[in-house]
Amino acid sequence: MTVDPNAATQGFPSPHPVPARGPGATRYLVPALVACAVAVGLGVYGKAHDPAGTAFNLAGFSSTGAVKSWLATASFGFALVQLVSALMVYGKLPGPSWSAVLHRWSGRAAFLIAVPVAVHCLYALGFQTYEPRVLWHSVLGCFFFGVFSAKMLLLRSERLPGWLLPIVGGLVFAALTVVWLTSALWFFRTFGVTT
Amino acid sequence: MKRSGPLLTLLGGLLLALFMLSLNATTGSRATSSSTTYDPPSAPAPASPSPSPTKVSPSPDPSPSPKPTPPADADYAGRTDDGSSAIAVTLRDGRAVAYFCDGRDKESWLKGDVEDDGGMKLTSKDGAELNGTVKGGSVRGTVDIGGREYGFTADRTIKPSGLYRATANVRGAEVDGGWIVLPDGGQVGILKRDGKPEAAPRIDPETGEVTVDGVRLTARPVTP
Repeated sequence: MTVDPNAATQGFPSPHPVPARGPGATRYLVPALVACAVAVGLGVYGKAHDPAGTAFNLAGFSSTGAVKSWLATASFGFALVQLVSALMVYGKLPGPSWSAVLHRWSGRAAFLIAVPVAVHCLYALGFQTYEPRVLWHSVLGCFFFGVFSAKMLLLRSERLPGWLLPIVGGLVFAALTVVWLTSALWFFRTFGVTT
Repeated sequence: MKRSGPLLTLLGGLLLALFMLSLNATTGSRATSSSTTYDPPSAPAPASPSPSPTKVSPSPDPSPSPKPTPPADADYAGRTDDGSSAIAVTLRDGRAVAYFCDGRDKESWLKGDVEDDGGMKLTSKDGAELNGTVKGGSVRGTVDIGGREYGFTADRTIKPSGLYRATANVRGAEVDGGWIVLPDGGQVGILKRDGKPEAAPRIDPETGEVTVDGVRLTARPVTP
């Protein structure tokens, strides 16, 4: 089964072709560079672009803050499924035979739900630093998408050290957790659990 | 075997992001085409310059999506009937944010929905309430704040007149400033340092820049 190596990085900031068979350090270098490019790219965009202050809203919600908080909470819920299913895949917890499938698809769901939230954050609010909560949220929000890209690219490599994927996956999970704590949880505590 | 699933996941997220950005860009062009601009005037190019590689190119198509949202997005600014305080109201997509400010120590940020008939009831966290109606290019109504009722009229206005806010951490203090730039160029604003209000320094209405304790901040237009 072959994959066009150039299709892989299409549209991504750094057009390093993913080597069909990563010799040595390239296997780690490419994901790391892509991660840096994604994280820095998002941060620079958020900083340089003048926040529009507003964007689309979904029907049935009182504010974009509420929409984003619920989407983020859904994403975080899937992230918890990720943690449990990952432990099952690694045999740390008893799990069904389809736990790998569960891990794959709950991860996709978590990521795809997080994307609209990030788009709104970066488009309407930008990268902000005016208080610690906001600074951490901005930094880790960018970091999350960077390290997630790295995780996805690392999955394509074979014969990785056994500890690498759990570490990177753990970083993804930890970043999303802090991002959620500093945004959705803060929103619900400040404005109440509203729709 | 090479797994392409992770790549498809990434690609899907990227496409979704680009799709939503294009959605936002067209929404933005609709708002600007209806004679209200909310891009800060400091931006030299209105179509959001960006070095980001993931940025979708701003769609040049000017076709406004025909979505009826009465009353129209607009900015209003004016004074209370007794002349003591200023009020600004910003309407966007059926929602409104208003700022009441006496320029010394009394201020309130109010938010709420605007009815299709132009009526609005805005409330603030500190219990203030604004009741108003959009009619014929102005908002007329009352504000209840601190046990007093103020009548006001705020006329429709355009940049640089309008409502601005800046929040920042300056030398360890939480700074929160609100400004109303009146149509005649006058400014009424309050700057709070760690919650203590005082008269705000003037902002440059063209750029929103203001110097607080030697630090230059940028006040941005406020939208709901």
